[in-house]
Amino acid sequence: MKKQVQFIYAALIYFFLYLPLAVMVAYSFNASRFTMQWKGFTLHWYDQLLHDASLIQAALHSLAIATCSATAACVVGTVTALAIHRWRFAGRKTIHAVLFIMMMSPDIVIGISLLVLFMAISLPLGFWTLFMAHVTLCVPFVAITVHGRLQGFDPHVVEAARDLGAGEYEVWRHIILPMTMPAVLAGWFMSFTLSLDDVIIAFFTTGPTFEILPLRIYSMVRLGLKPEVNALCAVMILITAVAVVTTQGLLKERQ
Amino acid sequence: MKRIIMILLPLLVFAANTWAAEKKLYLYCWSEYIPEAVLTQFTKETGIKVVLSTYDSNEAMYAKVKMTGKGYDLIVPSTDFVSRMGKEGLLLPLDKALLGNLGNLNPKMLNQPFDPGNAYSVPYMWGSTAIAVNSADPAAAGVTCLADLWKPELKGKLLLPNDQRSVLGLGLKRLGFSWNDTDSAHIQKACELLKPLMANVRVFDSDSPKQALLNNEVQVAVLYSGEAYVASRENPKIHYIYPPEGFGLWLDSLCIPKGAKNVANAHAFINFILQTKVGAAISKEMGYSSPNLKAIDLLPAEVRANPIVYPDEATMARGEFEVDLGKTERLYEKCWTGLKATK
Amino acid sequence: MKDSRLFKRLVLSAVLLWIVFFAFAPNLLVLLASFGHVSTTTFVMPALSLDSYARLLEPSYGRILISSFALSGGVTLICLVCGYPFAAIVARTSPPWRNLLLLLVVIPFWTNSLVRTYAMIAILNANGIVNRLLLSMNLITTALPMMYTSGAVVAGLVYTLLPFMVLPLYAALERLDQRYVEAARDLGATPAKTFVHVVLPMTLPGIVSGCMLVFLPAIGMFYVSDVLGGARSMLLGNFIRDQFLTSRDWPFGSAASVAMTLVMAVMLLLYWKSNARLAHREWT
Repeated sequence: MKKQVQFIYAALIYFFLYLPLAVMVAYSFNASRFTMQWKGFTLHWYDQLLHDASLIQAALHSLAIATCSATAACVVGTVTALAIHRWRFAGRKTIHAVLFIMMMSPDIVIGISLLVLFMAISLPLGFWTLFMAHVTLCVPFVAITVHGRLQGFDPHVVEAARDLGAGEYEVWRHIILPMTMPAVLAGWFMSFTLSLDDVIIAFFTTGPTFEILPLRIYSMVRLGLKPEVNALCAVMILITAVAVVTTQGLLKERQ
Repeated sequence: MKRIIMILLPLLVFAANTWAAEKKLYLYCWSEYIPEAVLTQFTKETGIKVVLSTYDSNEAMYAKVKMTGKGYDLIVPSTDFVSRMGKEGLLLPLDKALLGNLGNLNPKMLNQPFDPGNAYSVPYMWGSTAIAVNSADPAAAGVTCLADLWKPELKGKLLLPNDQRSVLGLGLKRLGFSWNDTDSAHIQKACELLKPLMANVRVFDSDSPKQALLNNEVQVAVLYSGEAYVASRENPKIHYIYPPEGFGLWLDSLCIPKGAKNVANAHAFINFILQTKVGAAISKEMGYSSPNLKAIDLLPAEVRANPIVYPDEATMARGEFEVDLGKTERLYEKCWTGLKATK
Repeated sequence: MKDSRLFKRLVLSAVLLWIVFFAFAPNLLVLLASFGHVSTTTFVMPALSLDSYARLLEPSYGRILISSFALSGGVTLICLVCGYPFAAIVARTSPPWRNLLLLLVVIPFWTNSLVRTYAMIAILNANGIVNRLLLSMNLITTALPMMYTSGAVVAGLVYTLLPFMVLPLYAALERLDQRYVEAARDLGATPAKTFVHVVLPMTLPGIVSGCMLVFLPAIGMFYVSDVLGGARSMLLGNFIRDQFLTSRDWPFGSAASVAMTLVMAVMLLLYWKSNARLAHREWT
């Protein structure tokens, strides 16, 4: 009895999580243009989507910014994590706290504070401002993930390397970096999704010359329900599902 | 993994760059204000690709242009913002030599006080802000004037524009004041009058109010004439009412902001829009009124005679064009923020 | 040796520079802006005035603050009440299934949150699924107005943020040592008492971090209230966005943002306190 109640409850939650996505995918095949009545099966909206060059461009922009900012955030975040782990210096704890606070900061606070910064140094909004904003968004996540992994380390390995004559640079290059690699990779994926998912920060920090997919969808959504948007979202859901399943498979193989 | 990133990175950057190398025009326009076909036609004729972004209020456009500085090549502000932006040096003077089709325009719409000699602006379209009702709904069918909007039976059935001038204008007009009133006591009074109206409001939307109307989410909407025109074509039960108390008229113009990079392309686009055929196509599809006299002649009779698009002289006399309010704008803004927070 | 000192200096100064420029400077600028005056030509006139904060407390604006906190608080509560039993169920499932269940929670949140918010329209619309279902079952005669209400905003926010509540709760519940629960039972405590006196305090950090991860973003997610709530200023996020991008009253918007940061600071303190208390308890 108790098991059944639990099962039904969990099923209900999953139903709530997946229903909107299922409905949207279903409507992407609906022939009706303005209303939500079912008027037959069509692939017309997918065809339209393929011919919408500006939408495809926005999607490519999104991928480009996610790749670039995730990579940069990994570099900055890893170096930061290693620095607070490896060296004792004044302000070490503060940096750790600052990273945590940055991670918890609501997107809108990050977005407007960076907007104010970019305005103060009169930087035109576009690719570079968005890039810096997304790196700022992602670095704390990378740093804290990598730092978490570093704390599980055996410090004797480093000592042993030192005794064998390795300099600071060699220790980093041959011991610390390889050992942190899994955490760095996890951080990279996290950053990549954070950047792809972000709406709010991009809203404030990008300009007309670099439009990304979420903002494009935002302006399409404001104009009401459009079957093309349904089709686009269905494609995005499919891509995510495939990506998730393949990464899971890859990770399993590694293990 | 590292290798994949290394391979992907330059590819993506390269992809982003090749697009940037094309001939481009960054157009920043009101949403649902220019037909897709016109943009494709322009690209076909000139090879210039139009990158369109949209806004739903003059204030939002102004803030964004001021902030980004560079990036937009062409904007479509209303009269009041043309004069404000002109005064602040945010606009680039137009090169009339590149605008051969200027002569097609209605002389009455040119050389207006908001931009003497049309130094910065070329009229794009004009229209009204009035009431659309869905006569299928009994409560909505009874609406004939502004005062009716306050009726309690319209609770949760009303849509207002997401635009301070249009909403404040309703209050001012109902009180018999000017749509452009600058008297702080009058504005205060209109603001108080509008507070109870907020209980009737279901949604604020200037982007695509016709959607809410057509989906039966609202039964009465204060909206721009073009939206009403498209909605009434989709659903004949939707009627457009010019309230007897008066209503707002506006004129939007094409302007080139100071930071524009593709100035020549922007001029080419303006001149393209000024062609009679193009002007007629836009007015026909969007349902707004064209300042292009010769274009009106090309329109089919049902559009030319449609009172939503081209109201008669008597109706026009009740309308009032929006003008720049200068510092008074702050009072409007203050009232507007308060109104939107009212439940 | 000298070489490695130089390396250390170089790396450290780069890190510090980064933090100063991207973490301290922007927030400091916002704080400064909140004390400034509105200017029509530039964005902010530097000044030292508390006007913006005073206006934030005026009844008409204070109401936005209060209703926004109430709405986000409600969302957090719903997420907690729905998410806690769910996290407990997942945490007690056997390992291979557990990973699958977790993955299923996470998958939807890999699609852009705006896309998911948009998906809610199809459900809440006047002609949407829920209304159709109720109409066909003759439970209602006319479509319920669900779009453009605060209920729709709450539904959208719960939908988007539920995973952020479930994951920390799951982590806390999974770490919970079952021996404590068994001990309490052996000592004769009822399930309710065991829950209140053992399980709840031990999962408190999870609860607090889950609440933080839901409450703070909820205040700021202006697009949910735009798409589902009809552009009324229901959330502080909409208000801040409008001050920056429409009204151009940067000091006022900055003051609201500072207020939001203060709320975050209070929540962080709570989190650290509850963590410290738990650590202390386990120690003794």
